[in-house]
This record gives sequence, structure tokens and C-alpha cells, in this order.
Amino acid sequence: MRESTIMKIHYGTALAAVALVAVHILMRLTTGFVESLEYENVLANYKFVPYAAMLELILILLAVHGFNGLRVILLELKQGRMYEKAVSYGCLVAMFGLIAYGSNTIIRTNMGMT
Amino acid sequence: MTNDENKEGIGGMANPRRYGIERVAYLLMRLSGLGLLAYFVAHIYETSNILRGQVGWNEFLELTQTTGGHIFLAIVIGMCVFHTVNGVRVMLGHGGVGVGKPARPDYPYDPASQNYRHKIGIYSAIVLAAVAMMYGLAVMFGE
Repeated sequence: MRESTIMKIHYGTALAAVALVAVHILMRLTTGFVESLEYENVLANYKFVPYAAMLELILILLAVHGFNGLRVILLELKQGRMYEKAVSYGCLVAMFGLIAYGSNTIIRTNMGMT
Repeated sequence: MTNDENKEGIGGMANPRRYGIERVAYLLMRLSGLGLLAYFVAHIYETSNILRGQVGWNEFLELTQTTGGHIFLAIVIGMCVFHTVNGVRVMLGHGGVGVGKPARPDYPYDPASQNYRHKIGIYSAIVLAAVAMMYGLAVMFGE
């Protein structure tokens, strides 16, 4: 993929994530901060399908943005054909791994498999 | 100077003493990005404790809902706000907003893109991050 396209994705995921993370944080402030972290409240959040879908979207957006950012930093430090391939594929694998791990939590909690 | 001697590596990238506030912003942007990625991975792991049921969730909450945990979270809030505000500035700059008009380079060759608009953006990001950290601390310690 062209670097210009990757940077458009990087900026797009950033803007979308800012809006959704703001909603995610505001949900912590609807009740008291400590109260919002109580088991029943968190479970209710996960079981509310639109909120769970939003969490999944945040997970994907931040994983794409975060690991692409890490890739950019690592490529600024050092260049080379093998190194660049290793960094790019390594970040891609880590990104998919994190999305899979986070999705497992969201889906299983949403379906009441706790 | 040979090519090898000219390579400063991470030290060169991290040196905030050259090129003014823009270099500081560059360094803070990368540090906050790495910090936020580390926090994000830890947060995904932290929230997965809900799969261990109420006991597992409460056990993990006891670890994070401490004075140290709140201070750590305030730092995360600061990094998040700085990264967001400075990120918007960088995006606008890449889009050509606030970088000035192209002109003939004359002595002392001040880059048109490193102007007061972007400096204000960087200082605003730092101030907003500090304010957000204070607000976060007030919310977390206020209960």
C-alpha cells in the first residue's frame, strides 16, 4: 500500500477515535467515576449492544492507529529492505493479535459468557 | 565526518535542544504515542479481567484504583490530550493550513512553516494537557 494512503488511514482513524473515545470517557462520568467501574455497571455496558459495537470500533481504530504509529517511529530510526518488512509485518501481526484478544473480551462478555 | 559518525540514532531523534519548540513537540508526540500504545495494550488486558467474573474484576480494580493508579491515569490523560491537540495541528500543517505562503528563501532563512500559528498550537496542546490532567485528578480524587 502507498505511504500516502497509509497516512490518510492514520489520520482518519485518529479523528474517528477521538470522537468515540470522548463518548467512552463521558460514559465513565455519567455516574460517579468509582461507581461506573463497579462490576455490574461495566457488565451492563458490555451487554448494551450499541455500546459494545462502539468499543469494538474503538479497539480496531486505536489498534490500527497505534501500531501504524509504532511502525512509523521504528522506520524513522532505521531503514533497510529486510528491517522495513520485519517492522511492517511485525506491527501488522501485533495489531491483529490485539484486536483478536480485545474482541474476545467484548464478544464473550456481551453474550454473557463470564 | 564519515557517514557512521553522522548517525546520532535515537539520541539525535530525542535531542530537544535544537530547532526550538517544534522539536520538543516532535519528541513529545512520539513519547506520548508510545506511552498511549503501551497503556492501550495494558487497558485491553485489564478489561479482559471481566471474563474472570466479579471476584477477578474486583481483584484487578484493587490494583488500579490506588493513589499511584490515579496519578498514572492522570499522566495518561495528559499524554492523550497533548497527542490529540498536537496531532490535529500536524494534520492541519500537512494539509497546508497555517504554514504560510511559498516565498523566495532570503537570509536568515526562517522556515515559513515554523511560524507563530503553529507555535501557539504547540503551547496550547501543552496547556490543555495540563488542564485535563488537573481535571482528571479532581474527578479521581474527588470521590
